[in-house]
Amino acid sequence: MSVRLFFATDVHGSEACWRKFINSAKHYEADVLILGGDMTGKAVVPIIDNGGGKYTFHMQDVRHDLDGADALALSQRAIRDHGYYPVVMTPEQRNEFSSDPDKLDDLFHAQMRRTVEEWVAWADERLTGAGMRCIVCPGNDDRPDIDGILASSSEIEVGEGNVIDLPEGYQLASSGWTNLTPWDTPREEDEPALKARIEGIVAQATVSPDRLVLGLHAPPYDTQLDVAPKIDWESLTIQGQDSAHVGSTAVKEVIEQVQPILSLHGHIHESRAAVRIGRTLAINPGSSYVEGTLSGCIIELDGKKKLKRYRLTMG
Amino acid sequence: MATNAPEQTLFVRKASGLVKGWSGGDGFRYSFFSVNLFLAIWSISYATFIPGGSLFWSIVITAIFIILEIFVYAGLISAMPRAGGDYVWMTRIFNSAIGFIIAAVGWWFILWLWTPIYADMGVQTTIKPIFRILGLNGAADWLGSRTGIFVAALVVIAIASILVAVGMKTYARFQKWAMWIGLAGVIICGILLLVTSGSSFKEKFNAAAEKYYGGDNGTLNLQKYETDESGYFVYDDTGLAINTVEGQTYPDAFTQLEAVGSGTGMPTSTFAGGLSWATWTLIPFMMFWMAWPNWGATLYGEVRGAKDFRKNIYQMLGGLLVPTSITLAFLGLMTWKVGYQAFMGMMASWWYYSTAGTNISPIGGDYISPTAMISWIVPNAAFQIILIAAISLLLFGWFGTLFLSSTRMIFAAAFDRILPEGAARVTSGGVPVVALVLMTIPSIIMAALYAYTPIDAEKGVTIVKLFTYDATVGILIMFLGSALAFMIMKWRAKSIWDSSSLPKRGIAGFPWMSVIAAIYSAFLVFNLYLFVTDALYGVNNSKSAIFMGILYVAALVIWLIAWVTRKRQGMALEAVAKEIPVE
Repeated sequence: MSVRLFFATDVHGSEACWRKFINSAKHYEADVLILGGDMTGKAVVPIIDNGGGKYTFHMQDVRHDLDGADALALSQRAIRDHGYYPVVMTPEQRNEFSSDPDKLDDLFHAQMRRTVEEWVAWADERLTGAGMRCIVCPGNDDRPDIDGILASSSEIEVGEGNVIDLPEGYQLASSGWTNLTPWDTPREEDEPALKARIEGIVAQATVSPDRLVLGLHAPPYDTQLDVAPKIDWESLTIQGQDSAHVGSTAVKEVIEQVQPILSLHGHIHESRAAVRIGRTLAINPGSSYVEGTLSGCIIELDGKKKLKRYRLTMG
Repeated sequence: MATNAPEQTLFVRKASGLVKGWSGGDGFRYSFFSVNLFLAIWSISYATFIPGGSLFWSIVITAIFIILEIFVYAGLISAMPRAGGDYVWMTRIFNSAIGFIIAAVGWWFILWLWTPIYADMGVQTTIKPIFRILGLNGAADWLGSRTGIFVAALVVIAIASILVAVGMKTYARFQKWAMWIGLAGVIICGILLLVTSGSSFKEKFNAAAEKYYGGDNGTLNLQKYETDESGYFVYDDTGLAINTVEGQTYPDAFTQLEAVGSGTGMPTSTFAGGLSWATWTLIPFMMFWMAWPNWGATLYGEVRGAKDFRKNIYQMLGGLLVPTSITLAFLGLMTWKVGYQAFMGMMASWWYYSTAGTNISPIGGDYISPTAMISWIVPNAAFQIILIAAISLLLFGWFGTLFLSSTRMIFAAAFDRILPEGAARVTSGGVPVVALVLMTIPSIIMAALYAYTPIDAEKGVTIVKLFTYDATVGILIMFLGSALAFMIMKWRAKSIWDSSSLPKRGIAGFPWMSVIAAIYSAFLVFNLYLFVTDALYGVNNSKSAIFMGILYVAALVIWLIAWVTRKRQGMALEAVAKEIPVE
């Protein structure tokens, strides 16, 4: 019997993309849902309470003036769908956050935790009794305490650092850690440390390589999966149309050594592609979370030793 | 606690992975290259077919409508930035079949036809004039032969393939240098025209014509032609202009070309014709060079907001308006120094030879390249060759884009499994080998057809060359598809519309963006209507219809095969792009 996996990654706080991910099991008739890393958002949108039920916020450089609770609720949902966290505050509170980085950091932390808790509750409700598996592995952008919230779910299995049994005798070994980036994210380390980490996880696997799936957030270096705009690490600006390979050499070496049947990656949203590294099919479905589109990949394993087929999707 | 801190409208995490922007010049450069000045020169020459129309006003009107195109494409890119262009926009908003069929023809199949067109342009505007300067007249004549054009097309295919194979990074660098060197050449041409008096220009023109096309290099054909009482040339039953009594000649090449201008009824002013219907019928010819500021305009990064939408517009606007202004300035300078009717006579002399076979040009069957004739102002062969070659980089620097656009389309179709997985295969060195083969081999076949198909008796060019403008038609049909998709995005892709930074205001429930898309679509329909109904553009014939029909049927067959295959595999094509429900 074959196993159908659906893999998506880098939803970055987009409520729309999270919900689509959970609903994709039915949509694509998948047996197992796998979410690669980076599930938390990147920004807070302050919604200024002007009093009298009136609010103002800016979204994508456009000013929005709201009147009433219904309008507020709609806008908050739109902001969440975009991957940002809407927070109602007074002008004084906004100024405080502007001038106090620690306070702002606490705000982010609180919003991230609250959102993931809500997501987990919604997923539990949807997945209970549905008969499909859901594995989520946080990524380098996600703080470590997110794992505990995911682990509290009745339906979601946490991928980070674990080897998880899949149907038909396959196993999934995952890690959301990456090689170093310009942004000093919570889960990044240099290549030797990353390689040791990944090797430690893979060593837990008990199946042969042709039944092993790797879920590694960082894409393998110098492939079509890791091409990103070249960035100046100081100014964080893009250098013209120059691009660079920013993937991990550690990930590539492990894939080359272990030769699993499949490796699933994310991290570089622009590099939507699939490549063969020896016998391994390595896939990065990319990410289009900004526009609320869930980029993903359907993979069918034939239950024996072959990868039957795969297909990139945009839902 | 009140502070003097600026009002912050967005708090971004430190470890966000967000970049702060990209170079403002990049989008402009791509658009500028795409609204290509060589295509402009070539398109301007087609105005000789509609002497009653105003070239100036046709360019202005076209530019106004292309501004609408810029809004449409900036909107599509802003709403679905990493989506992969027209193919995915149409697939997402209409369906898989429509998206693939229209985009496969527009971004893949029809680009095969562009390779011999580019080759022909490159030969006529650059290589032949350089060969004449060097005295390589045998080689120049050979380039005008069927085999010469075919070999030139093979060279274009090779250049385009190499530019893809070296990778985007290297190609982008080459393009950057090509643009600056080409622009420097354009500026030098402008300065030369400005500082040269009309009489001096004519003197230098005649000297070069004599040197490169007369004397030992050949025979300058200065024979006079019979004119009627209105001053127009008189033609015999076979369509050839009638020579006057043997021995009667024009004093020099320029005088002859002035006579060609008046003898063929060319207008005396670029404004003549005003906003008449004739002017509007020039627009499809202008679309050949002006329709492309949206070519290759993509964004990186994730801070996508209204500013990015506006930035995209400004860059594409710059890419449209700068070459348009240069072209209008060029027309102005030619009018001032050369005389508009004489300039159009130069263009007419080429087309009358190449299509009607009547040799009214002093320099025989050669196209009088504007870049070459301006270079002749400086009577130094090395300078002339360098200037012509430098400006030609504006054309050669764009060749790679031809295949790059197609490889993206092929990859997208492979990812969606309309094409097999192998179509997106890339070597370890990053060369998209299969996609290149899918472009190279059909382009070679198309080049052979362009060069070797029989000559159309009425138009005097090969059958495939006759429907050169299908190269524009195929792409305009695709643009129409994308414009219609954008027009209905609010309703067909509501979640994408809502989450985008596009202006949402409108009238009677229709967003202004949809209204703009509707007007632009109507403009495209107008152009397509003229292409299809008027024989003037060379595509209103059964052979062209068969050619285009074959392309669309081929795309349909590919899609159907994929549909059946994937359905059997349990992966319906429609499911790939169908939106997953959120609730």
